[in-house]
Amino acid sequence: MTTTPTIEIRHLSKYFGSIIALKDVSFEVYKGEVTALLGDNGAGKSTLIKTLSGVHKPSEGEILIDGKPVHFNSPRDAAAAGIGTVYQDLALQPLMSVTRNFFLGREISKGPFLDFETMDRITREEMAKIGIDVADPSQAIGTMSGGQRQTLAIARAIYFGAKVLILDEPTSALGQKQQLEVLRTIKRVRDRGDLAIIFITHNDLHARLVGDRFAFLNRGRILASGTRETIDLDNIRTLMAGGDELAELEHEFAEGMA
Amino acid sequence: MSAANGTDERIRSVGFMQRMVSRPELGSIFGLIIILVAFIVMTASAGTFPAMFGNLVGVQAWVELAAYVGILAIAAALLMIAGEFDLSIGANIALAGHSFAIMVLLGLPIPLAIVLTFIEMMLLGALIGTIVVRTGLPSFIVTLAFWFASRGFAIFLSQTIFKQSRLSIREYVDPPAGGGTDPTWIDNVFAFSEAFGLPFDAYVYYFVIIAILATLMLTRTRYGNWIFSAGGDPVAARAVGVPVARVKISLFMFSASMACLLGVVTVMGSGSADPQAGDFRELHAIAAAVIGGCALTGGYGSVVGAVLGAFIFAIASRGINFVPFIDNNLFRVMLGLLILGAALLNQALRNRVVRG
Repeated sequence: MTTTPTIEIRHLSKYFGSIIALKDVSFEVYKGEVTALLGDNGAGKSTLIKTLSGVHKPSEGEILIDGKPVHFNSPRDAAAAGIGTVYQDLALQPLMSVTRNFFLGREISKGPFLDFETMDRITREEMAKIGIDVADPSQAIGTMSGGQRQTLAIARAIYFGAKVLILDEPTSALGQKQQLEVLRTIKRVRDRGDLAIIFITHNDLHARLVGDRFAFLNRGRILASGTRETIDLDNIRTLMAGGDELAELEHEFAEGMA
Repeated sequence: MSAANGTDERIRSVGFMQRMVSRPELGSIFGLIIILVAFIVMTASAGTFPAMFGNLVGVQAWVELAAYVGILAIAAALLMIAGEFDLSIGANIALAGHSFAIMVLLGLPIPLAIVLTFIEMMLLGALIGTIVVRTGLPSFIVTLAFWFASRGFAIFLSQTIFKQSRLSIREYVDPPAGGGTDPTWIDNVFAFSEAFGLPFDAYVYYFVIIAILATLMLTRTRYGNWIFSAGGDPVAARAVGVPVARVKISLFMFSASMACLLGVVTVMGSGSADPQAGDFRELHAIAAAVIGGCALTGGYGSVVGAVLGAFIFAIASRGINFVPFIDNNLFRVMLGLLILGAALLNQALRNRVVRG
């Protein structure tokens, strides 16, 4: 591909004292594409998210947005540079309305008072753009399904200027039907063509459904990466399960039987 | 897909009843109706209906109590929605009253004494709020400390300077015995009692103004949005840039200034600073806020509910004196049951908001 990646991670390492959380991690994400980042618990996924969203500073390596190196001192810097992170807990208020949640911390006022007319309209429009029709934006978030809440958090990140959308395990805490709803949302956001999506998951089936590029994180290192064409998708499951270690265990068991 | 034509199967419409049930003050509207009907029926059968509802003195008795408790209940409700408590509010009434009286007795002009007392109490509120936010201790514990400290300090000051715990400033605010002109204009303007042809004391009108402003602030401004989020999920609120600590500290300052307002106005009205002023009022205010639908866990509630809760409290509290066949001591039993019932009802209503 000849275009510049929207976000490129080059030889990123992160150490906490003597602990190596990330080592020499490189991958890139293009707009209109989903890069699925797979990894087991403890693989370094959350350290990577936090480094990309400005919570941690990288120990080595660099992050480039639209080809230019960026340095984040705070999550605010990352957000200003166009990184929109949708955390697993979503940062939503269940007892507050859809509109109030959408604009929390970035409210639109008309004089001293909130401009609900404008905010309701924008909320409805932005939600409709990624496929959820909110009949009544003044209803409490608590009445929405987990999948709809995920969609709201994504719509909010997009509206407030995200170029790169980082989705932290968006399907993991949901029921099956709602997982599909979220995957549909991800696909729809991908098809807009103007956003680069990093989809973090440990579910290889979900990754295969929506991913254009894949990167496998294991013990802080990228084990394998590539596009749908260059990577052996059938190998995903083996890699996810621990690859070599699994083979070793198999060997061990076989010896035990003998 | 279906988004454009609005027939998404994932969305169901929320009916009018559901929306009504979702309002935090719903329980207290029912509560107020029940209490009013109960006391109208009871006073009517006891022949005391006109004494409680039919003349100004009777109405003043419960309206003025509702205003007094209501001003505190509004502060308590805002704090509770932001996820905090203020037990020091009653003791702060005494501290404010004594501070004011001491300044007047030391010769400060009354307007200056009022301003300085407000500054003092707002600094105290800022101190309480900062301790809560910085230490992460529950505000229940922090304000319990000030529940002891504020009143204790008020009495200590007045004992040390004037060798008495009750301070009279009558000569500064009331006309001299045997007639003559009232010595201060500020007393008549700031803490008037049924003056200007108005039927109630000054703080009843302050109550109305504060209730309207607080309602607008809570429901229609960004600051109000931040109050809800600070109590609902402070971590999520901080993640989207809400200054949670500043919101909480400012509400402790508001709470202390409401105690100040009542402390100063009652001292000017009665002409003396009573060391027992505001005793138990913190609990009455919290009771009114809870009856009015505020969640003790934060993130949910309304000013209107707290106002209605204050009226329920005041009507039950004063009304019991007009019903001779109910023992006065039963009032507290009744109030206890009322709080319990209201809390249960509000919990059920709140669950419906989330479950839909």
